[in-house]
Formats: sequence, structure tokens, C-alpha cells
Amino acid sequence: MTSASRSVIETDRLTKEYERIRALDAISLQVPEGSIFGFLGPNGAGKTTTIRVLMGFIQATSGRASVFGHDCWSDGVAARSRIGYLVTADALYPDLSGGDQLEYAAAISGAAPVWRDRLLDALELGRDMLGRRLGAYSKGMRQKLALVAATQHAPELLIFDEPTDGLDPLIQRNFEELLREFRAEGTTIFMSSHDLGEVERLCDQLAVVRAGKLIASGSMASLKRQFSQRVEITFANTIPIGIEHVAGASMTERNGSRVTLHLDRDINPLLHFLACHEVERMVIRPPELQEVFLGYYEQGEAMADGAPLR
Amino acid sequence: MMTAMVRRLLRRGMAGTVMLLMGVMVFQFANPFIADSFGGEEGLQRMVELLPPGLRSLAELSPEFIALTGLAGYLSLAYDHPVYLVLVMSAIVGFTGRSIAGEVDRGTLALTMARPIPRTNVYLARLVGLVILIVLFAVSGPIATWLGLVIAKPSGDVGISQLATLGALCGLLAWSVGGLTLMVSAASNTTGRVVGWATGFLVVSFFVDYFAELWSVLEPIRPLSIFWYFDTTATIVDGAVPVKSMLVLGGSGVIGVVIGWRIFERRDLGI
Repeated sequence: MTSASRSVIETDRLTKEYERIRALDAISLQVPEGSIFGFLGPNGAGKTTTIRVLMGFIQATSGRASVFGHDCWSDGVAARSRIGYLVTADALYPDLSGGDQLEYAAAISGAAPVWRDRLLDALELGRDMLGRRLGAYSKGMRQKLALVAATQHAPELLIFDEPTDGLDPLIQRNFEELLREFRAEGTTIFMSSHDLGEVERLCDQLAVVRAGKLIASGSMASLKRQFSQRVEITFANTIPIGIEHVAGASMTERNGSRVTLHLDRDINPLLHFLACHEVERMVIRPPELQEVFLGYYEQGEAMADGAPLR
Repeated sequence: MMTAMVRRLLRRGMAGTVMLLMGVMVFQFANPFIADSFGGEEGLQRMVELLPPGLRSLAELSPEFIALTGLAGYLSLAYDHPVYLVLVMSAIVGFTGRSIAGEVDRGTLALTMARPIPRTNVYLARLVGLVILIVLFAVSGPIATWLGLVIAKPSGDVGISQLATLGALCGLLAWSVGGLTLMVSAASNTTGRVVGWATGFLVVSFFVDYFAELWSVLEPIRPLSIFWYFDTTATIVDGAVPVKSMLVLGGSGVIGVVIGWRIFERRDLGI
């Protein structure tokens, strides 16, 4: 296996059952090294359970999960030595100052906090604030502190659950930029988020879970390709007859000489049709992540049956 | 890593622990002054003889208690007094409840568990913290009593070694309760659950031992109470911890710690 295709996280038919509930159902994932991997799903889909298994907090009922080749349960210490994990902001010690919190995190990491200053600058967390107790921090400030504590020791893999929750848009942008820098330096990032815009801006790989099952996984581009594109065409004259019968196209709107179509996969039949007509303007818009996400949710069963998605 | 974890555990809730420790010291410091105010051994003996028989039974005192045990016997009563026990047990149960179940409840355990630290070490840090706390409480009472004796100078003889032995017995009781509650904490997700179980266990144990003295029907089950093995008077008078106390209190603590460790090693942590 080459370093370019090496998987940092691998799960193989990972299953977790709680008495009568199956929280994870045979999830198989590969997270490539150096990628920013988005892990999507609604509440209760199994995202947090998957992350808990990866962190060795809980033991899988069956299947396997490994990080850098180390089994997450039986060899969890070796796995965690290369992970930076974001705890929820509420899980910080309320009786400690921000600075003490970071010192404690560094002390138990066994690694120097080489990225601390860089993170504090990017997140605009003032050094003067570090002397104050957590009680004086706003929700956003606590989230910044949790991010610094998780990342300051320059881990090779970052595991984030809602990393920018509570951050203002400006800081969120700075943080995204910083994550891209980390990725460029070889860090792999595995993040779950409900902010689809953030995931779309950051992630190059994606997995979608629903009710404990993996329903889609792959590169952002390949997943988007499975969904129809929206094509807006303005004709010089009237809308030509027969456009609604073009293979793979379905009309969703018509207004004067303008028509909106949803196009499944191949654009060539449409281009052949348009070659005989005078087109004033044509806009092809790829599906947004939100459409992809909702599409998987609304038609996830259809996807399993191999039917086209819209 | 271990030092950082232990320091963190002890620092959390330190204000409450210091208050309880001061409470123990004040309570035990005052006792020699009370003995002196009664007129030392002779005065205490007269006071015990004057007590109505019913009240003596409640206090588990025979008419010749002071004559037989002297000032040491009187001082030992303050170590199985409910006030002293509540102060010590609050600190021990509070610490064990906070250190695992409480951290699961708040989610703060994730900070530690996300690092490359074996679960055994995480548990060991809690155990080290517990032992430090037990030692602090075990020595604070006898030190305060000794200071009180030095200053108040009541009539009667009590040696430092007798007080040290009493401290050892108190430490064994705290170890037993601490080990058992650490086990419950290792299996629980909330401090409240640990405190509930520990309080129930201690209250039942205390009253079984107490009422067995008054009601012979309960006598056969008295050995099931940990307080049956907490004989402060015999310990201070003899200057040695009874073997059965060492075995039962020490052993139950060890069993609790070992079972708790096995549970913590294997359990799912919802953090």
C-alpha cells in the first residue's frame, strides 16, 4: 500500500449493540491519510458512537476499528498517542483557569504543546483570558479552549465532533484555514458536523450514516456526481418542444423562454438536443452538499436498491 | 502523567476536603479539653456512674468503663462518634464518587481518556488520590487529639503510640469504605448513585452494629457490619489493631479496589 492511499482510520463491519438497540450496524470505513473526512448524519445516527469506539471509550460488539493500524480497544494507548480529540466544551474542568486547563492537557499528553501559540492566534483567544477561570468564559471561548487543548500537541490525526459549534463566522473561517494548513502538513482530520456549509468547504472525503448504517462514502465529488445537476437554460425564442423527453432530464420549472431541468448523470443527450436550438444562456449548477445529504436521507433506501437519486 | 492526574483529582473539591479535615481536627482537639473539664479520669468515672442505665446502654458504656480503660477509653469514644464518622466518610465517599462516576457524569473524564494513558493508570491515579486522602484523615484526628492533650493536660495517661494505633484503625475503616465505594464509582455514571449506595451501606451497617448492642436478636448479624470491626476502645487501650479488624477492613477494601479495577478496565464509558 502506498503512503498516498494509506488509511489512517479503518473500520470493518463495526457493530455496537446496547441491549436491544443496534447503535452501529456493520460500518466499514476507510479514512485516507492527509484527508479532511466529513462524517455526517442526523442526531442518533451513530456518529458519536463511532467516535467513542475509535477513541477506545467503548468496545465494539463485533467488527474491528483501528487507527494507524492499532486496534482501538486492545491497543488503544498506541492509537491515542497519535490522536487529538475534541471534547465538548462542557467537559472542561470548571475550577481551572484556561491556562491551567491547557497545561493539564499537555501534561497528560506526554507531548509538547508546539501548536498552542498558532492556535491561540488563529482562534483569537487572548493570553490574558488564559489566567481566568472557565466560569468567566462564554460558550464560544470555551469551544476555542477545547480546540486548543485537543490540538496543541500537534497530533497526526484530529477527531472532532462539531468543532466550530459556538464560534463566530470570522473565527470559524480562521479555524478552517488553519485546518487546511494542518492538512497540508500531513495531518488527517476526521470530523462530524451538522454545519453542511463547513463540511462542504473543508472536506474532500465524506461518509453519511443513518440509523447506525453507512449509506454513502467516498470523495465529495463522487458523491455529488450521484445526484442530479440543475440546469437552467434560457432560449433565444420559445422553449422547444420535446425538451422534456430528453434522456435523463426532467423539467422542474418553465417560465417564458427559460426552463429548469434536473439532469441525471450524462449531459450528452441534452447537448445533442440543444445543438439544434438557439440557446441564449445555460447555467449548470452541481448539487450542493445539503441536497446530497437530504437526498441520501430521503431516498437512502432507493440508493440501496441502485435506483438513481435526485 | 500520574502526578498531574493525582494533583488534579485532589485539587478538585479541595475546599470541601479541607473544611472536613478541619472539622475532624477541631472535633478531636476539643475532646481532651472536655475530659479535663470533667476532672480527668476520676471526674469522667463519676460522670459515667451517674448516667441512667438506659443512657449508658445507648452509649455502649459499662459503669466501670473509665475505671477499666482510663482516659484513653474516653478519647476513643470520639472516634466512633457519628459526627467524626460523618466527617470522614463524607470526604472519602465524596472523593471516590467524584473521581470516576462524577467525571463520567460531567464528561471531564474524556479529557484524560482521550490521551495515551492506559485505563489501569487512570484508575491507579484515583487509588493514589484515595490513599493520600485516607492517610490525611487517619493522621489528622490523632494529631489533633495529641495537641489537645499537650495543651489541656487532663489527668490520665495516653501515649502517642496508642493514638497512632487508633489512627491506623481509622485509616483501615476509611480504606474499607473507600475501596468499596471506588468499586461502585467504577461501575456508575453519576456521583449521586455512588453517594446513594455508600450512604445506604454505611447507615445500615452502623445501625446493625448499634442496635445489636441493645437487641440480642440482631447479634448474629452483627459481624456483617463493618463497624463491628471498628473497635476504637480495644485498639487504643491495647495499643494494637485487632487482627480481625485488619483482615476484614483491609481485605474488604482490597476486594473493592480489585473488583473496581476490573470493572473500569472493561466497561463502556459514555463520555
